[in-house]
Amino acid sequence: MRSRQPTGVTDMDEAQEADASAPFSTPSTGVLRVRPLPDRPGWRAVGEINLITRPAWEKTLRQLTVIDEKVCHLELSAVTFVDVGGASVLAAAAQGLPAGRRIMLHQPPAALGRLLDMFWPDLPAIEVVTR
Amino acid sequence: MTAPNTTEAFVHPALFYRGEQEYLDGTVPFIREGLKSGEPVAVAVPGPNLAVLKEGLGADAAAVRFLDMAQAGRNPGRIIPTVLRAFADAHTGTRVRIIGEPIWAGRSSVEYPACVQHEALINPAFQGRDVTILCPYDAARLDERVLTDAYATHPVVVLGGKERLSPSYAPERIVARYNQPLAAPPAVAETMIYGAEELPAARHFAVERASRLGLSGASLDDLALAVAELTTNSVVHGGGSGVLRIWAEDSQVVCEVRDRGHLSDPLAGRRPPARDQRGGRGLLLVHHVSDLVRIHSRAEGTVIRFYLSGKPSGPA
Repeated sequence: MRSRQPTGVTDMDEAQEADASAPFSTPSTGVLRVRPLPDRPGWRAVGEINLITRPAWEKTLRQLTVIDEKVCHLELSAVTFVDVGGASVLAAAAQGLPAGRRIMLHQPPAALGRLLDMFWPDLPAIEVVTR
Repeated sequence: MTAPNTTEAFVHPALFYRGEQEYLDGTVPFIREGLKSGEPVAVAVPGPNLAVLKEGLGADAAAVRFLDMAQAGRNPGRIIPTVLRAFADAHTGTRVRIIGEPIWAGRSSVEYPACVQHEALINPAFQGRDVTILCPYDAARLDERVLTDAYATHPVVVLGGKERLSPSYAPERIVARYNQPLAAPPAVAETMIYGAEELPAARHFAVERASRLGLSGASLDDLALAVAELTTNSVVHGGGSGVLRIWAEDSQVVCEVRDRGHLSDPLAGRRPPARDQRGGRGLLLVHHVSDLVRIHSRAEGTVIRFYLSGKPSGPA
């Protein structure tokens, strides 16, 4: 069960194929890859958000908060896990958005939905799209 | 009920009752007094007593917030943040009244230390707050030791309709006394040693074993979240590594994390964080999702054990 892959790798490579789910279908190993969405403002993340990958997640969220778009999208269908720290930085980013701006989460893992319900119910700047 | 100590805003009496009539005599006037003076009132007691109280209150029941403590407070470690503070914080600017019955005759000996520590920790958690929390104790069915401890965890005790100051009030002593070594894990417990590199692997290990031990669905998600928080705490605050163990006990799955950290703040994990507060939710999360959390912490190290059952138990 021990991870032998390097942890905390962040890949912001824009040229990567849109569908990169295949290499990550095995249990997550503490890697997070993030790249811009091809068709909408925002990012697609692949991997898991934990203590090791949190800096990469925070960096993504910082970029998301500075782009001048009313709605930013985070495509999370290939994110296998988000811990409380990862949910906290997302909530903080959403709370720091100017009024009227929001973050749309697409297919977040169940853990993230549970954490948002538990600790940040009624965050107006976060919208969850489950399909 | 009047505060015998006028310098302390927080009032925390124990009510020793024998039978239904004494229960009603000790609680219904307390509730009506609160409603009459415009105080928001919540009642969090186990199901059967909830029914007794609703009937006893008649039409007044409509103005009271009721919670089944056997559900909301199944894990005593989450009662302060999710029941008591949740209600008090929703009504700031006015005194609130709560009836909280966290200890009943069916509580097990594994649960009891966490229950009595919870009762003790209510005192520092609410010090200075305009809150009254009345805690009924079933004197006919609870052990003598439980009643003795209630004198130590409550500054005031109501007995036979008479209120008196507790001669043995010492909540910090109770917190310390019940900070005991936990029973050794069974030989069948599965073990994994982890450091920062193994955080995801430790979580997968726990989820895989828990699934084989009978957990499924949302309970497995809860387990993953709790394991992630505790193992991350070990890496950040507990000496960088730890030992994870998992096994089944009756119908529950028990998961334990052991590291070299010291949990010096007994209220850790029991304070609801401000919305915009970044950290401080890890242990709170563990309390939220678990049926029970037992902790033994000293300078040399900490053991945290949490219990999950297949049925959803969290209030959230």
